[in-house]
Amino acid sequence: MIFEQVFNMINVGLVVLDQDLNVRHWNRWMELHSNIKAEDIIGSPIFSCFPNLDNPKFLRNCKSVFKFGNFSFFSQKLHRYLFPFKPDSTFGSEFNHMQQSCTMGPLRDESNVVSHIYLSVQDVTEIAAYERKLVEKNMQDGLTGIYNRRFLDAKLQEEFSRHKRYNRPFSLIMCDIDLFKNVNDTYGHQCGDVVIKHIASLMGSMMRDTDFLARYGGEEFCCLLPEADFEVACSLAERLRQAIEQKEVTFDGQTLNITVSFGVAYMYDEVEHAEALLQMADDALYAAKKSGRNRVVAAP
Amino acid sequence: MSIAAEQALSREEQDILQELMNIAFGRASADLAEVIDTYVVLNVPEVRTLKVVDLPEFISTEISDHDIISIVEQSYLGRFKGVALLIFPSGAGRELLKLFGDNVEDYGEDVSMAALEKESILEVSNILIGACVGKVVELLDDEVSFSPPRIIIEDHPRNAIPCEIFEPDSLATVMRTVFQFSDRNISGYLFLINSNESFQWLKKALNRFMEQYE
Repeated sequence: MIFEQVFNMINVGLVVLDQDLNVRHWNRWMELHSNIKAEDIIGSPIFSCFPNLDNPKFLRNCKSVFKFGNFSFFSQKLHRYLFPFKPDSTFGSEFNHMQQSCTMGPLRDESNVVSHIYLSVQDVTEIAAYERKLVEKNMQDGLTGIYNRRFLDAKLQEEFSRHKRYNRPFSLIMCDIDLFKNVNDTYGHQCGDVVIKHIASLMGSMMRDTDFLARYGGEEFCCLLPEADFEVACSLAERLRQAIEQKEVTFDGQTLNITVSFGVAYMYDEVEHAEALLQMADDALYAAKKSGRNRVVAAP
Repeated sequence: MSIAAEQALSREEQDILQELMNIAFGRASADLAEVIDTYVVLNVPEVRTLKVVDLPEFISTEISDHDIISIVEQSYLGRFKGVALLIFPSGAGRELLKLFGDNVEDYGEDVSMAALEKESILEVSNILIGACVGKVVELLDDEVSFSPPRIIIEDHPRNAIPCEIFEPDSLATVMRTVFQFSDRNISGYLFLINSNESFQWLKKALNRFMEQYE
């Protein structure tokens, strides 16, 4: 009597399946979120209402729990959910489905044989939403909203390993706003921020979805271009340079002409580590600055 | 001698445990074939009692052939109580992914190959540990629950082997086996490490187990 009440009052989805994977119990939480009444699903195979569960992994884990009496864990990270329910609260607005952490475990009969398995379904949408926000914040630059240096460093390592493993091409562009100190000194730091945001958004709008634009330091940016060979990277840098040169920035009624210098480096087999590639792009950028700014220099 | 040492398993009890594990692993192998569609050879286990402080050193020596490993750690909780460590050499994730025939495309767009390889190791480990521990406790007439498995992926053994499993001064029974997936290039090590908390019960359970043969 009390156990039955707990089964129905608890804020967790609970399902009991028999050896043929027919539903034997379906608690109130499951009724409320699935809009399927217990009496309508009990006795039917779980797949009749949830065909998405008819997959090798789910079946493999059911078998394992019946055979070994162990537990199986379906993490939200990989599976998102087992049961496609609508998100319950406004926290889940960015998810199409309620995010779930599910566990499967054994239920034994009097002779200690696993005769049924249970599934518990926990709504972790709110946690997943927080986690997503944290992850985003962790890789974003606060001022411009583009990627930050932490993200770029990690991505660069990843691309480097991918190149070593599969020999995929990739390029790197380092760029720096010319005479930025003058902007700050003449118009103030607020204007400097506007310029940085302007450059970030203009460059971002001209890159492919698969490219990564990051704020590398104060007025320094870095573009990581997977699958881009040397010519593609150089021509992109030139297009960026021209676009920035042609587009004026207005601040407080005043018009500023901003230019940017670029250094381009391309990954090839002899480059031994990711930092070396970064250094090559940085050296090229330095050469661009040395030779008069507002230009693209390619690493030798 | 500390109290813990007196409570440790005797030579004979260790032999019984080894024999029992041998039977259990034989059954686990057979059932695993049905669950994951491949035969897993579980070699004859070795049982020994060690001080907890010496565990990391012992494990590192056992797996010294490998520079980079992945470790899955999962606790089992019953009267039979301890921690299972499953150790795979580098690259096992890729092989396991092939075994299950999972595709990155079957999952969300933000699921990477690395995440999928990691998940394959976790899933196989969960089943393998569940099978081995499950069959051992079945023979000992116990039931255990399991914590979710945790994984340390592709790292040096010195970083990956957990040091603080139990009280450092206490003793642990280590059950170690080597396993191979018969038609795949996948092998690894399984360590079941029981804390001295379960020794007293384990002694009784082992004696009960022997009684049926006497």
